[in-house]
Parts: sequence; structure tokens; C-alpha cells
Amino acid sequence: MRFKYGMLAPLIAVFVAVVGFPLLYALYLSFTDYKLTDRGAPDIVGIANYASTFTNASFWEAFGVTALYVVVAVGLELVIGLAIALSLQKQKWARDVTRSMLLAPMFITPIAVGLTFRFLLNDQIGAIPELLRGIGINYDFFGPGRALFTLAFIDVWQWTPFMVLLLLAGLESIPKQPLEAARVDGGGPWYIFRRITLPLLAPVLVVAILLRALDALKVFEYVYATTRGGPGTETQTIQYFTYQTGIQFFRLGEASSMAFVVLAVVLTVIVVAFRRLERNRSA
Amino acid sequence: MSLTKKSGRFAAGVALTSAIAIALTGCAGSGGPAEVESSGLGDIPTDTEGTVRILMENVPDTDIVKELVSEFNTVYPDITIDIESLTFDQMRDKLVSSFQSPDPAYDLIVADNPWMVDFAQAGFLEPLDERIDSTTDYDADDFFTPLTDITTVDDVRYGVPFYNYALGYLYNTADYEEAGLSVPTTLDELVDDVQQLTTADRSGIAMQPQRGYKIFEEWANWLFAAGGSIYDDEGNPSLDTPEAKAALEAYITAYENAAPDNSLNWAFDEAFRSVSSGEAASMISYNWNLPALNDPDGASGDLAGQFKLAPMPGGKQVLGAWSWAIPTNSGAPDAAWAFASWITSKAVDVERVSAGGAAIRESTLEDQAVLDDGFGADYYEAVKEILSDAAPLSQGAGGEEMIQAVGTELNEAVAGTKSVEDALSAAQAAAVKIQG
Amino acid sequence: MRRVSGLAIARIALLWAAAIFVLFPMIWIALASFKTPSQLNDPNLVFFAPTFASWENVLSSGILDAAGRSAIVGLTTVLISVVVGSSGAYVIAKYRAGGTATRFGMLAAQVLPPAVLVFPFLTMAYALRLNDTLVPVIFAHLSFVLPVVTWFLIGFFEAVPRSLEEQARVDGFSRFGAFWRVVLPQVLPGLGAAAIFGFTLSWNDMFYGLILAPGKAAILPVAIAGFNTFRGVQLGSMSAAILIAVIPVVIASFFIQRKLVQGISGGAVKS
Repeated sequence: MRFKYGMLAPLIAVFVAVVGFPLLYALYLSFTDYKLTDRGAPDIVGIANYASTFTNASFWEAFGVTALYVVVAVGLELVIGLAIALSLQKQKWARDVTRSMLLAPMFITPIAVGLTFRFLLNDQIGAIPELLRGIGINYDFFGPGRALFTLAFIDVWQWTPFMVLLLLAGLESIPKQPLEAARVDGGGPWYIFRRITLPLLAPVLVVAILLRALDALKVFEYVYATTRGGPGTETQTIQYFTYQTGIQFFRLGEASSMAFVVLAVVLTVIVVAFRRLERNRSA
Repeated sequence: MSLTKKSGRFAAGVALTSAIAIALTGCAGSGGPAEVESSGLGDIPTDTEGTVRILMENVPDTDIVKELVSEFNTVYPDITIDIESLTFDQMRDKLVSSFQSPDPAYDLIVADNPWMVDFAQAGFLEPLDERIDSTTDYDADDFFTPLTDITTVDDVRYGVPFYNYALGYLYNTADYEEAGLSVPTTLDELVDDVQQLTTADRSGIAMQPQRGYKIFEEWANWLFAAGGSIYDDEGNPSLDTPEAKAALEAYITAYENAAPDNSLNWAFDEAFRSVSSGEAASMISYNWNLPALNDPDGASGDLAGQFKLAPMPGGKQVLGAWSWAIPTNSGAPDAAWAFASWITSKAVDVERVSAGGAAIRESTLEDQAVLDDGFGADYYEAVKEILSDAAPLSQGAGGEEMIQAVGTELNEAVAGTKSVEDALSAAQAAAVKIQG
Repeated sequence: MRRVSGLAIARIALLWAAAIFVLFPMIWIALASFKTPSQLNDPNLVFFAPTFASWENVLSSGILDAAGRSAIVGLTTVLISVVVGSSGAYVIAKYRAGGTATRFGMLAAQVLPPAVLVFPFLTMAYALRLNDTLVPVIFAHLSFVLPVVTWFLIGFFEAVPRSLEEQARVDGFSRFGAFWRVVLPQVLPGLGAAAIFGFTLSWNDMFYGLILAPGKAAILPVAIAGFNTFRGVQLGSMSAAILIAVIPVVIASFFIQRKLVQGISGGAVKS
């Protein structure tokens, strides 16, 4: 008992300070009419902000845009990341160099990544449309129906390395004995992957998907750097929308309520998904 | 391992956090310290001491101001000017968050025109009427009227102009000559010209239809050229008029036939690169981009010198302006005014504009020193014309939000996801809702 | 035999494709940092006489100081997160301590947008009179690095077979000894990955750094974003700044990874 809480106490203490306080404070703001230009304490307005958030069609539209973005980006990152991690694990030649190099996109601040791709994908001065034209393709990266996927593509470029990093570490931590045993029994690579590697990797996979999804949920910089939410509101993500409401339009109280609605929905989804997962695992 | 104990600890943690939160809530949004009482002084004694911290945007105009600080210190040796410069959005974020500081954070600020009404009505800016009127030889009437209209909120002046970013038509004279055209004077001519200027490897006009601010800022010039206006005479939004429809249809025609391919998300940056590299023959942009286009060491390279500036067809254009303003929680309001009034005074303004600063005073544009400085007398003539008939995108509070909403609808129309009529009536409805 | 070699070819092809995919934009960035403004408008230009103007401009803009500040913030944040997070994650994984509430509650700050959370941090900084230091930035970064590091490690601790620990206890290790000597070495790759990723999050954050860092002490992402000006993005300078931000971290991650891979193979022999 003492050991358990002794080990946990520092974590909880730091958490209360860096997460607990800001969270409660933001929660308090979400019940006020606080504007950034206000002087003096704001008035408590009860659930008025929540009521307007719930009935705000643009908010829910932004929510849907973000959900689609997360599914596309994280789905691709997972598949590609797992394939690369499996390949890298067997890599012998120049392995450390390859690994570090493949991680590079992660270390660029997202705003710079967004700006770089804004020009790389620019139809007139960008290298990528130029190359595509060379093979006869004229593709409008930021056109209607496409811009969101372009942003997801940028996300894949920057964050697949994260999947690789995490899954590779996971692959290296799983015990070697079951793999050896299966190999001795004559299991093919696909069988070993499905029946041995994947189940053993499951906890790390879950964490990888969860963390990446939560991070992708906060996509802001790519939108800011390239489309500013356009065409129309096709790429207006929840983060961009909240930022505009809270900072550009000064209505921080309302923005806080949006943040908590998102939080409630996301946590519900996660907890339900986890309950399912646990039940499946114990079944 | 009992469940109750676990949640007990968790609850204790929550309770502790709440206690801290409530304790700190005391300082929540208190909007800063007690305000320093304004002296209302116009002429600040030259032996005034103090430090003036200024938050500015990192633009060439700010660099010019920085270079003038040492000269200011020959007049006011005991005032330290401390300029922090950031890019636009960073600066805005930093500025609004500094409102929360219990201590004075900035003693003098520059404010963009959509913010003026919000800041002034929130009591964040010191009224400057008394100071302006009592400053010797200041001649505030010499400022271009559209600029002082921006600094005036409910008949009180809260700022003095820093620099303008009014738009105009920037075009490549060589391309125009080659096509045998002259500068357009009507909207129809503009639409025809840019289509005629379009060739296999050149666009007639590089447009900026990016959602939000950019497209509205550009399209409003077309609206003015079509004889429309953003607000009617009573100050109500007037975005669903026949003129607006004509303007948006013309805009879309030009976008589809004369703008570069796949340029729906283009903003200033892309358009400027396109024009400076000769891939587009013209653009609608800030008047002071002409010197940048004609700079042989800049992006234009060999094309430098070919570009010219003209007012929009019809003569009226969109105006943006930055203004100097003193926050009410300034720690050194007198010293701040000393600097603001000095840098905007007639004599210093001549120096500033000669160095490439954007114009604010009429007299400066007639000054021989300025006319001889190399950017060319006809450039200043065009700037003068532009500044005498220009209007900002928004009036009243909620400017940023109104601009964003209208700019979203316009972008939808250009993207083809909404009809012109639907987009304009939605834009009108949004503007009325936000500012009505 | 044939099937295996087919797989090997696919593996190598995939890695080459990935390398090209990753490197293409990086090479473009590297080229851009040596181009003049008018050369930047030509996407086909690969061979040209390089100019060092962008590099001179960037290096004289105080970017190295900004990088230093970012490194201080990042390393402090990661150090605290790893120490506090690994012990916490261990008991959460092993005993399910704190229940679902702690585990998911931790993620709350991960979901809330910085635009909303930054003001509480700002208020806290003013209240504690820390507003002229880098401490508020570290606090804010901890709010998203610590949960990530802890979650990372929970996953890794869960993947450690229970038998390993039970064996250690039978061998006479104390609880802490079993954790420290047996379980922790087992998750070293995960710890390294968590540290690298945690550092990345801190290293990349612009918004908190912008609002919370003292006036003129910009951190690296703020300095990089500073090249996006009203008169256009200074692509050359921004590219140089990106490389300055990326190269040291790639080199550091190279050594960390090599060390960790050695660590794990050493640990595996013992078990």
C-alpha cells in the first residue's frame, strides 16, 4: 500500500499543479461571460455558454471536420507506421542512422511544417505540383473536397515517425521466446505477426493510437498556415474554431465551454472504447 | 486496494486543487492594476524620465521606427524606448493576453483597425483628444481623414495614425504594354484586361481568395469598384445589394479565367511571389508593395522597375491602418505620448516616409525631400489619391468576427460550393447578426 | 525460402519509399536555405550557386539563444516527466491504481485547446510572481508532456510479463528493487521513446511559449514562426532556422536510440 502510493504521489502532486488548477480555472471561466478585453471580474452566466455551444451549428460542423481528419490521419499513420516499424526492426545495415533520419519530421515545429507544405504544394512555385505535372497530373491540393485530405497528408508526413518510434520500441520490448517458439513450430511470417506479435503489441498499439488521436484532435497550425479553414468551412477544425472564438474574437468564456464540451465527448468515446476493449480481452 | 480509499485520495486531490483555484480566482480577469491617471498633457517636457515598452508587429515600418529611436533620444534623453516586435498573430495573442497582467505590460501599443472599437469600448485605451489638441504644431488635421476616422470611436480620438495599408492595383507595365492595354478605370475593364493578359504561361491577375480576412479584403475593392459599399448610409451592412452581386460575379469570372490554377487558398504571399516572378501580370495589394516589387535586390530580380501602382477602378479602395494608442494601464503614459507625438510629427514623418514608411500625412506626400527620394513622384501621387478615398472593412465592434464571417461566405462562392446569391445573403445575415 | 526473400524485397522497398517521402521535403528545405528570394520562386532549381545570406540572417537573429531556452525548457520538462511518470505508470499498470478516473483524467489537459488553458497558466504565473521566468512555460509543457510520457510507459509496463517480476521477488528483490532492477530495464526502449517524444512536444510548442515566456526571451518555435511576416514568409531564413532546430535533435536521438537498443539486448540476456 505504502509503496504503491509512494510511487504514485509525485505524479499526482505534479498533476494537481499543472493540470488540475488550469482545468478548474478554465471550467470556472466556461460559466462566465469573460471577454479578453474585459476589465474587472466577469459575471457568472450559468450554463448560457454551454447552451449556445450546443446549439452552434458551426461548432458541431468543426467537430465533424476534426473527427474525419483524425480518422484519416491516424488510420494512415498506424498502417504505414506499423509496416515501417516491422521493416526497421529487421534492418541491419545503417540501422541507427535510418531510424534517426526517419524521425526528423517530428522535430520541426508544426507551424513551420505547415508553411513549408504551403509552398511545396503551391501550384505555381511548389516542387510537388511541378513533379506531378511532369507525369501529367493537375491536382488542386487545397480545392473543395480535397483540402482536408491534404492537411491529413501533412499530418501523416510529420507524425508517422511518432508511430514508428513508439511501435519500434514496443516491438523491441516484447519477449523473444514466444516468437522463437512459433518459428520452431513452423509458423509463417504472417501467422507469427497475427497470432504472436500483434497481441503482444496490443497495449502499445492502443496507447499509440490514443495519443496520436488526441494530438491530431488539436490540429491547428496546418490549418492556420495553409487554408485558414477554407474552402468555406471545410477545414475549420475544432481547435481553429475555438482559437478564433476565444482569442481573435475575445470571447474566452464561450471558447472555454466549447473546450469542455469537446472534452466530455472525447473522454466518453475513450472510456467506452476502453471498456469494450477490456471486455473483449477478458472474454 | 479498496475502491473507496482510492477515490478518497482522488477526491482529496480535487478538493485541494479547487481550493487553490478559488483562491486564485480572486485575480481572475481583474484586468490589471489601478489605472494611472492620465495627465492629458500634450507637450511633454524634454526632461521626462521613463521607459516606454512597445509591442509592435515585425514589419519594415517597425524597423524604420526602431531606426528613429536614437534621434528621439537626442530630444528626450531620459526616455528609454523598448520595442518588442512579433509577427501579426503572435503580436495580437501577446497583446490580448497582456490585458490580463496585474502589472502594466506595455506602455504604448499599435492597434490594427478592426480592434480599435473593441479596445476603446472596453476602456482599454486612453482618450487622446486633450493631448492631441494641446500638442504644439501637431496639426492633426493634416492626417488623411480616412485614417483619423479609424482612430475615432464614438467621437473620441483614441489613437494617432502609425501607418496605412490601403490597397491599390499593382501591375506589370511591360505586360500591359505588350497586350496594348492601359490601366483599367471601370470594373468591366478590369475583368476584360486581366483575361486578355492571361497567356499560356502567365496569369492576368494573382488573386487572394483565401477564406476569411484575405478574400474579403480583396473582394471589397471589387465591391467599391462596382459602386457598392460594405455599410449603407445608416451604418448597416449592405452586402446583399445588386452591386455586391455584380462584384462577386466579376470576381469569380476573373478567378476562373485569369487567376493562376488551383489558387483557392492563396493569400498575399503567394500572389506577391507570382507577380514578382512574372507569372502574373497584376494583383490587388497594399500600396507600399510597389517599392518592394521594384527593389532590384528583392524577389523581382530582373523585373524590378516594371511595376506601377494605380487606384482601383472607380477610385475607392479598402483601407487598413495601424494606430498608436496608449493603454489605460500604461506605466508611463506621458513618456508614451512624447514618443507617439514625436514620431508622427510633421518633421519626423518626412524622415520616416523617406526611409520607406507608409504615409499618414498629406503634407508629407507633398514634401520635396520625399518626392525626390527614389520611389518616384508618381508613386506618391497614386498613394495620395488612394488615401483620400478609402474605407476600412468594418465599422463598430466585433470587426474581426464580421470580417471572418463574410470572408467565409465569399470563399464558398468562389469555391463553387455556394451560389453567389446564397453566399451574399448569408454574409449579410452574419454581418447583421454580429454588428447589427 | 522464396517467400522470405519476397518479403525482404518488400521490406527494403518500403524503407526506401519512406526515406524518399521523408527526405524530399527536408531536401527542399535545405535547398531553400541557400537560395536567394527570386531563386525561391523556381521549383525546378536544384543546382545553383548557394548564398549564405539566409544563414547569416538567422544566426544573427539570436536563434541560438532561443534554441538554448527551448532546450532548457524541453530537458527540464522531460526529466520531471520521466522521473515522476515512470514510477506512477508502473503502479498504475501493475495495480490499476487510481482507477479509471486518474488514468483518463490525466488526458484531460491533452484534449483542452491551448487557447483556453493558456490563461489559467498566465494567471498562475502572475499570482506566483513567476511571469518573468521560463517556469510557467515548463508548467504548461508538463501539462501535456507528463500525461503522454505516463501513458506511453503504462503501455510498456503492461507489456512486461508478470512472471519476470514474480521471479525477481522470489530472488529476494524488494518491491522497489524489482521495479528498479528488473522491470525498468525491460522498458528502457519505451522510456527512451517517451523521452524523445516528450521532448519533441515541448520543443515544438509555439503557443504556450509565445504567451508565457518573458517578453524578449523567445523560445525556438516562436523565433521560427517569426519569419512568417506581414510581407510574406521569409522562406530562406525559415528553412535555415528549421534545420538549426532539427539537426541537433536528430543527432541526439541517434545516440539515445543506439544506447537504448544496446540496453535492451543487455537486459534480455539476464532474463
